Amino acid sequence: MKHTDDFAPEDLPAIEVLPPAARFSLRARPAQAEVLGRALGLTLPGRVGERTGEAGREAMCLGPDEWVILAPEEDGAAIVQALADAYGEAPHALADISDREIRFRVSGKGTLDLMAMGCPRDVSAIAPGRGARTVFDGATVVLWRDGEEDVRLDVWRSFAPHVRDLLETGRAELAAGL
Amino acid sequence: MSRFRVTGKGRVDHHAPVRFTFDGKSFFGLRGDTLASALLANGVHLVGRSFKYHRPRGIVTAGSEEPNALVGTSRGRGRFEPNTRATLQELRSGLVAESQNRLPSLKFDVGAINDALSPLFSAGFYYKTFMWPKGFWDKVYEPVIRAAAGLGRAPETTDPDRYASRHAHTDVLVIGAGPAGIAAALAAAKAGAKVVLAEETAEIGGALLSDPEVVIDGAKAWNWIAARAADLAESGVRVMTRTTAIGYYHQNMIGLAERLTDHLDSVPENAPRERLWRIRARHVVLAQGAIEKPLVFHGNDRPGVMLAGAAQTYLHRFGVRVGDSAAVVTSHDSAWHAAFDLQDAGTGIAVIVDTRTDVREDLVAEAERRGIRLRLGHTATGTDGRLRVSALRINPLRDGSVGNGTKVFCDCVLMCGGWTPSLHLFSHTKGTLKWDAENTAFLPDRKSEAVEIAGAGRGLWGYGAALDDGAKAGALAAEALGLSAAAPTHDVRQDRPGTGTAHEELPTDHDRGHTRAFVDFQNDVTAKDIRLAVREGMRSIEHVKRYTTTGMATDQGKLSNINGLLIASNALGKEPPKVGLTTFRPPYTPTTFGTFAGYHRGAHFEVTRKTPIDSWAAENGAVWEPVGQWRRARYFPQGSEDMDDAVARECRAVREGVGLFDASTLGKIEVTGPDAAEFMNRMYTNPWTKLAPGKLRYGVLLGEDGFIRDDGVIGRISDHRFHVTTTTGGAARVLNMMEDYLQTEWPDLDVWLTSTTEQWAVAALNGPKARTVLDGLVEGLDISNEAFPMMSVADCTVAGIPARLFRLSFTGELGYEINVPARHGRALWEALMEAGKAHGITPYGTETMHVLRAEKGFIIVGQDTDGTVTPDDAGLDWAIGKAKPDFVGKRSLARPDLVAQGRRQLVGLLTQDGKVRLDEGAQIVDDPNQPTPMKMIGHVTSSYHSATLGRSIAMAVIENGRARMGETVHVPTGKGVEAAVIASAVFYDPEGGRAKL
Amino acid sequence: MLLIHCPYCDETLPESEFAYAGEAHIARPADPSATTDEEWRDYLFIRSNVKGAHYERWRHVHGCARFFNAVRDTVSDRFLTTYPAGAPRPALSDLEASE
Repeated sequence: MKHTDDFAPEDLPAIEVLPPAARFSLRARPAQAEVLGRALGLTLPGRVGERTGEAGREAMCLGPDEWVILAPEEDGAAIVQALADAYGEAPHALADISDREIRFRVSGKGTLDLMAMGCPRDVSAIAPGRGARTVFDGATVVLWRDGEEDVRLDVWRSFAPHVRDLLETGRAELAAGL
Repeated sequence: MSRFRVTGKGRVDHHAPVRFTFDGKSFFGLRGDTLASALLANGVHLVGRSFKYHRPRGIVTAGSEEPNALVGTSRGRGRFEPNTRATLQELRSGLVAESQNRLPSLKFDVGAINDALSPLFSAGFYYKTFMWPKGFWDKVYEPVIRAAAGLGRAPETTDPDRYASRHAHTDVLVIGAGPAGIAAALAAAKAGAKVVLAEETAEIGGALLSDPEVVIDGAKAWNWIAARAADLAESGVRVMTRTTAIGYYHQNMIGLAERLTDHLDSVPENAPRERLWRIRARHVVLAQGAIEKPLVFHGNDRPGVMLAGAAQTYLHRFGVRVGDSAAVVTSHDSAWHAAFDLQDAGTGIAVIVDTRTDVREDLVAEAERRGIRLRLGHTATGTDGRLRVSALRINPLRDGSVGNGTKVFCDCVLMCGGWTPSLHLFSHTKGTLKWDAENTAFLPDRKSEAVEIAGAGRGLWGYGAALDDGAKAGALAAEALGLSAAAPTHDVRQDRPGTGTAHEELPTDHDRGHTRAFVDFQNDVTAKDIRLAVREGMRSIEHVKRYTTTGMATDQGKLSNINGLLIASNALGKEPPKVGLTTFRPPYTPTTFGTFAGYHRGAHFEVTRKTPIDSWAAENGAVWEPVGQWRRARYFPQGSEDMDDAVARECRAVREGVGLFDASTLGKIEVTGPDAAEFMNRMYTNPWTKLAPGKLRYGVLLGEDGFIRDDGVIGRISDHRFHVTTTTGGAARVLNMMEDYLQTEWPDLDVWLTSTTEQWAVAALNGPKARTVLDGLVEGLDISNEAFPMMSVADCTVAGIPARLFRLSFTGELGYEINVPARHGRALWEALMEAGKAHGITPYGTETMHVLRAEKGFIIVGQDTDGTVTPDDAGLDWAIGKAKPDFVGKRSLARPDLVAQGRRQLVGLLTQDGKVRLDEGAQIVDDPNQPTPMKMIGHVTSSYHSATLGRSIAMAVIENGRARMGETVHVPTGKGVEAAVIASAVFYDPEGGRAKL
Repeated sequence: MLLIHCPYCDETLPESEFAYAGEAHIARPADPSATTDEEWRDYLFIRSNVKGAHYERWRHVHGCARFFNAVRDTVSDRFLTTYPAGAPRPALSDLEASE
């Protein structure tokens, strides 16, 4: 029987709240992806769940006409301007959602077990470097699988305490060792 | 050490005594015992009183199918569980157990009077006995039945334990870790499949744990198990013990309940007690084995009468003899082996009674070699003893007639009526069963899921057959996944194959109208009850089940179903398959509510959404109101104020000075793209083409049926961008509806939607002093009435925070809604409170907001509308763009019903007595003295006390209401009937000048 | 709990990511004002309620957010196929043949 004391913290997943970043919802017809990607300085991924990144900017395809763009906070204004300049050529919708979500990072041994407490889908089947919009304990989340046991979760702000509560409960459960 | 404990036998640790109590008396068992085996080791058979007749009952089985040995167990405050199966509960140090259904004590129970009165409680008694006299049901019968009903007592305090849940995904899930299950798991895993093996008990091995002399591939059973356990680990099989598969759902989703701590002496901190697993498997192997059937004869429920296989398990797995002198009564070979094993361990075998005359020669020879008295072609017709069996009455069967009875003295009776393949989970899948006359059992037939059934579950008997079948099933499962697999065969020595025959109630020389031959022990149903049900006209087995309650106890008839079926089919004169089987439903075994609830309890019961300003409200004494998933501040009481006082003060502040309201929960949707205005034209009733950027408009959204679905103020940010607001509760629904039209009806439109509800925190500043407060905080925008009039929107900076400022009013006063990025919500709020301090700024909540808007006659969708209200009904005809060719719901506004006379229209209501506040939802009539049923002409939708007007106000929908201004109607109140006058719903500032200051 | 194949994500995922959205292939009339009361009534309210293969809509609401169509056997609760919104209604004979 393992007790809490038997667990070194490195045996348990770490749960962090990530600092704010510039986040945008980008929606457009797939045919415009090339133009819009150029404006963003990256290639917009074409298939749901695929991700691309360039110079600190990241994009994930969430739906056939929807991407989430992530960038350093100071890049936000430049992104807005670049896409406004491209609007004539490639009409689209860009919405600033930097404040809509709270972002968690869960990493370390047991991360996939924690995910399995809330996600009905098989998170281990999302290859590292990919992601998905899915559901965690009733809340919609955008899940970025960065490594084998390393994920980010973007959660609507008002759902974040609920998600965090289960993550912490789950971590304590893992510490109990049963 | 009790003489019933056999030194050197069992998988218990003979050097590790474990103390526990039963009904307050202290006992010792051993580490590895179950509560049942520990009690038996102490010579205790009597463990409970039965459900209906309060008959003394003992332990019958050694597994989760146990119908009798249900006890209350506890470990401290709140940790009490009724109906724990003593046969599954592992012994732990300090376990406190109590018997159930007895008063005052197990050995002397006054409820046993029911047994003497049993003719009153025969099948269907519920429907007959309590019919008369009239009126007795409420006053006498029901209270008495309620007090007497139920088994065990319910816990009285909140369960302090934690419960967990987990999703998992695997290639192959094998359920049952007996020989077939182990072989299946290994065959699948060695083919490369990811395998989970679930086992209900504490360790793998299944029946082999009770048959240690069997030799498999040269290894004795227990050595073979140990070697396979190592194999399983090496092959990466996840073995889950103490895990019961409780439900088999669509597409190979299995629910399993894992018991984590009930066996532990002390529980690690934060450890969950149980965990619900939802495992999705690409292929399933069911290897659940078979359940031994009791024989049905008079007195077969006396403590000390148990299943022969259970006695064998207690001996080999737990090192416990269940008695000193056993009478064996059987119709199947398996009980003979149990008799031999018990004799080897020192229990005298008083007799082996077999209903068959033709029994396998080797068994008969072995019994004779052992000097055991044999009675072939005999029946059992009764037992003696009060709290424990002391004799078995047996009679010879000759040419279908029953000869004279003789008594055989004994202290336990081991019975075996054959075995029932365990197909409960298979039945959950709607897989069909086929009657197998030779086995007198239902076997799996047509499958509806990707599943194999292996071993005794499909009627195979003997370890060799089960092992080979299991391996084959595992290989089939792997092959179904495209893997290439091998199914090894096994060389088994000392195997114990067997056959048998099945009976309904055993032949007897008693009058069958008076025998007490139990079929369902847990629900106290006898063979006579089933025959009575048939005699009284029940033909379907489903009716027999409900009339007699056989199979309806928490064990779902695991022991009784086939016996009940055989008795019913005999009484009906039909073959068993023509009578059929009742339906098994999840859960397979009783499962705690905690396991189903999992993490969803207490504060985590469901999502509680909080705004960025919520923390300020919490710190300032807000009283909360749930609105959808949100919690919102309802009002902010000061000192000893009640709600009415607080709301009156908050209303006055807004009307006379300035108030501040957290409107962050409003739904917000950005509608962006070249076709944004066209899309808005099609969705909302209003015209949008000519709305200039920087302007706001109140929008009404209908369903296609013409009824109001939502409303909100919508701002045009630029030619191609609208900022739509929705009601708090409607946010997700409206976005879903918009996406639906866009994706499926108008995919040609170049416009896209994004929810920005949580991007923005929103503070609503209302009152004649609102501009004064805001002025000093705004940069980059002239907010004078001339430059920024009513229904304007602009981006600016407020208190140094980038903001989107709306000028609108839901209160009737000068008002602004300040949107800022959510992270700045609280800072904005505090800056406004600070700036407003000099002007007496007052935070207000949803209740005040409701009163203020009702004074203005503004509707709340879902309160003043109910899904049957058209814009015209609500007085919103002005919001319809009549020149537009189409919008959602437009065609319906011309439907005959919607243009008919006499529709209920939204109006104001003023009670004759201004102190009377009508009930929301109260029905309205013209003449309160008309005969019943009265004609209702409408109902009250909103009702408040208005501090501003110094009287109550109400809104209501009334037939033809707008044409009846000034007329009096009547509304029931808690105290009587109140007269009220129909009035305009705009009670305050009808010209609307105050919002335009 | 069903598994549903999303034709946009091209993945088979748990039902909890999806929301049911009513019967499929009920197109909004191009010009509602040209419909008779009876035609409009049928569009609004009349549904097939079949026992057997049912053409219906689902939305991958906790996923790609797309509405799509499916054929589900209402007796066995089994999906026969799923396909994008706007695609033609697959013939039942083809679906049964492929089973």
